[in-house]
Amino acid sequence: MGFIMIGERINGMFKDIGEAVAKFDPKPIQDWAIKQTEKGAHYLDVNVGPTAEDRVKSMRWMCEVIQEVCDTPLCLDSTNYDAIEAGLEVCKKPALINSCPAERPKIERVFPMAKKYGAGIVALTMDKSGIPKSADMRVAFAMELVAAADEFGLSPEDLFIDPLILPCNVAQDHAPEVLETLRQIKNLSDPPPRTTLGLSNVSQNTLDRPLINRIYCVMAIVAGLDSAIMDVDDDALVDAIATADMLLNRAIYCDSYAKVFRQR
Amino acid sequence: MGLTGLEIFKQLPKTNCGECGVPTCLAFAMALASGKATLSQCPYVSDAAREALESATAPPMRLVKVGAGDNVLEIGDEQVIFRHDKTFFHPTGIFIELDDTLSADEIAAKVDEISGFVVERVGEQYVIDGVAVKNASGNADSFKKAVEAVADRTNKVLALLTEDPAAMEAAASAVADRKPLLYAATADNYEKMVEVAKKIGAPLAVRGNDLNSLAELVDKVVGLGYKELVLDSGERQTSKVLADLTQMRRLSIKKRFRTFGYPTIAFTTEEDAVGEALQAQVYVSKFASIVVMKNASEPALLTLLTWRRNIYTDPQKPIAVQPGVYAIGDVTPDSPVYITTNFSLTYYTVATEVEATRLPSYLIAFDTDGLSVMTAWAGGKFVGEEIGPWLKDSDINEKVSHKKLIIPGGVAAIKGKLEDLSGWEVIVGPREASGITSFAKLRLGA
Amino acid sequence: MPVEILKEKFTGKVQEVVLGATKEEGGTRAYTVKLGGSSTLPFLQFEGEIPNRPVIALEIWDIKPDWHECFVPCYGDVWEDPVAWAKKAEEYGADIIYLRLRGADPELENSKTADDCAKLVKAVLENTGAPLIVEGPGFPDKDNEVLQAVAEAAAGENIALGVAEKDNYRSIAAACMMAKHCIIARSPLDINILKQLNLMVTEMGVPIEKIINDPLTGGLGYGIEYAYSVMERARWGALIGDKMMSLPLICLAGPEAWRAKEANAPNEEAGPGWGDQKVRGVMWEAMTAAALLQAGGDLVLMRHPEAAKLVKKQLEDLMVPNTY
Repeated sequence: MGFIMIGERINGMFKDIGEAVAKFDPKPIQDWAIKQTEKGAHYLDVNVGPTAEDRVKSMRWMCEVIQEVCDTPLCLDSTNYDAIEAGLEVCKKPALINSCPAERPKIERVFPMAKKYGAGIVALTMDKSGIPKSADMRVAFAMELVAAADEFGLSPEDLFIDPLILPCNVAQDHAPEVLETLRQIKNLSDPPPRTTLGLSNVSQNTLDRPLINRIYCVMAIVAGLDSAIMDVDDDALVDAIATADMLLNRAIYCDSYAKVFRQR
Repeated sequence: MGLTGLEIFKQLPKTNCGECGVPTCLAFAMALASGKATLSQCPYVSDAAREALESATAPPMRLVKVGAGDNVLEIGDEQVIFRHDKTFFHPTGIFIELDDTLSADEIAAKVDEISGFVVERVGEQYVIDGVAVKNASGNADSFKKAVEAVADRTNKVLALLTEDPAAMEAAASAVADRKPLLYAATADNYEKMVEVAKKIGAPLAVRGNDLNSLAELVDKVVGLGYKELVLDSGERQTSKVLADLTQMRRLSIKKRFRTFGYPTIAFTTEEDAVGEALQAQVYVSKFASIVVMKNASEPALLTLLTWRRNIYTDPQKPIAVQPGVYAIGDVTPDSPVYITTNFSLTYYTVATEVEATRLPSYLIAFDTDGLSVMTAWAGGKFVGEEIGPWLKDSDINEKVSHKKLIIPGGVAAIKGKLEDLSGWEVIVGPREASGITSFAKLRLGA
Repeated sequence: MPVEILKEKFTGKVQEVVLGATKEEGGTRAYTVKLGGSSTLPFLQFEGEIPNRPVIALEIWDIKPDWHECFVPCYGDVWEDPVAWAKKAEEYGADIIYLRLRGADPELENSKTADDCAKLVKAVLENTGAPLIVEGPGFPDKDNEVLQAVAEAAAGENIALGVAEKDNYRSIAAACMMAKHCIIARSPLDINILKQLNLMVTEMGVPIEKIINDPLTGGLGYGIEYAYSVMERARWGALIGDKMMSLPLICLAGPEAWRAKEANAPNEEAGPGWGDQKVRGVMWEAMTAAALLQAGGDLVLMRHPEAAKLVKKQLEDLMVPNTY
């Protein structure tokens, strides 16, 4: 009901995590698990990264070592669904599957798996042909995903629809389309699906990344964003989210509202 | 709020024929949801889909009127679950029940008790809304006679309680012009009850044995073309009634579940007046449109009706206390006199602090249309020009032997004009109510 | 087709707070009382757990109170002896005894000292079995002094001490922490300050399961609807995971109700339709309590034993399971 923060840091794309995965060294992974939890993350994204040799094995191992040090739910991030299933098997709390596009074979693989493990799904508004530009097309994909959830016995609330933001320095025209998509997604069903974004993507290769992330996140929250895969270590970003949450009357004000926000 | 894309999609034929001009039913549902298409573009849409779409624009809960002429009770048409989300609109109607087995004299006495019941507090009158006549005798003639006797003696709103359609028809026809509430259509009698209700154009209560059977019955009654309904799940145990009333309210408001989109009625079961009032309090708080009770006992109903008044106040409007002079403690002609505005929160905050000084005092709630001190000052309602002339003629002049008025520190600027126009000496008090205790100690010797 | 019951999916719940300690737990109480713990809106068991029924505390003073004469038949014989009064409150079925140390008011002649208060609290504990709440006289300096002494005297008993407010919470919180008691944090009808106060008290080191909140309610007919909405918002906050809004709520129904003119006015001064004061006063209090329980009160402080009895009966009716 409040904003859901998914910590992005445990991803093999980052050098320290990539090395840890390669050497099966739990320390850096566990450190980031603890740190992100302390910063208020509600889920921890787990991505073995591009260099892992055996993604199934690495994913299961990462889930296990993270759960040794904290009980924050996990968001299993992979295009390899066997790796995700391996992770789901060891997750102690209901996890998120990250991700599934609006493509029939993938829906048929992922949605029953989500049902089986009680997991949520980060569902992408794209298909084989790629990311559409217009809000209308994004919403059409979202609708297909919502209808599929209904078909497979999932609640629309089990979906975290990601309308896919692109870096503003190369695809500036997508930013308003994504906002419009977020607005329309809330009219797709009752209860509506939830929404998420890979927030840091918006600022790839720009000069002041925190500023762009922060401002876009607040704009998106107003449009209907419920969660983000994000840098929870960015205090100013989390403060901005806490403030938006409060100003939308979703949390009761007190002088230290931003601190209380992190205790949820 | 209209229907969502998914709800519409579920009602479409899902053939993807494309005759509507959009390639898929899914896309067409989306276009409908966002108002970019109309349903008539689909040649194959079912009647059920059409009705669901059309009713989506109606208010979530129907407004139903009981009674006629000057005595009409409007119920239903509520929009929220929590009063702080907007407000509760139509206060719960309180009915007192009497049996048709009573003698003519007993009926007259009970009716007089009910219609004579008037509570006055803070300038308002609270009354009982209606009389419910129950066919306890099981005899149609006695019922009709009792209903007529009640109708002759009071112009309060009526409710007729019988499950015998013949008895209902006879009694209801006799008081048709009063548009009484007919209670109740059940699974056994609903067809005939609907006929009676249609004939005299009166609202009809529908009673199930639980929420499921109620929903089934409502659909049947609506299927017969009647929608002036009031719902009763049939439950009588307090916590279960609370659950049912909550579900009916939630489903109608949050899910726009048309079957439950009507006002509700609840019955108390406690025998004694105080227990009954407390039980009724639960239903007044949580969503009943009408509560039928047995006792018209003064102190118990005073508290129940006060609570109804409280919970049905609009939280978005500033609430005012009755303007005037209030005594706090055992006042004497030497007691100090404070003034504040008649905005409730301001008044009660100041009153609490004045009480805490333990120095008996007068507190004037000056009429600012319910605005707080600083807002009223800025708006020209709490200024010397307004307070001065009023104070000069106020009955406070007879109550105290001095002419010293303590004003809120925030409006010290009004002192001069106020003194000129009232002939009183003005003492500037603390800015905040929390400062009153120490002010009273230092300046008034409290 | 059966009706699809609509249940809210809550992620949070009201914090559970335990009052009192039995012999095994290092105290001498005959039983403990659990407050809060609900994972649903008031009395809606169909969508969550209500592990603990809301409880009733009866109010006693350390000096003879200035209450309406209708209290004489129930307490007239004991109210000059707080220990006897406490025992009588237990006999009337109080779940908790709520002792107000009004006699320690520094402005009274013969104002009771901190030592007097500590001795009294000890005596009350020795002669009763119910968990205890102690409220100071309401003057910051004296409160601190008195509550410190009381906290020490009652060490091990897990009593609750009140009241902490935003400008005066540190030494009360410290006293509670030292002797492992609970604390009552109050903010008059201001939910925002209440939330901040909770945070400040926890940051001092008071465990969250030791805090009770008093939103200071207002009585029937006198602003109670503000309290009702404040409490409904707080409960909603607790249920959606706002920990600083999740503390059990105490409602001073008795003291608030008996401030009303309607509760006290003798029959000859009563307005039209008010009826007999004996019933009216009791009902004014019972109706105030009942309304606050619907808003989410976890503990109601009652004054008249008859009113307490009525509310207890209603609580039993409301706790009948209503799952579908």
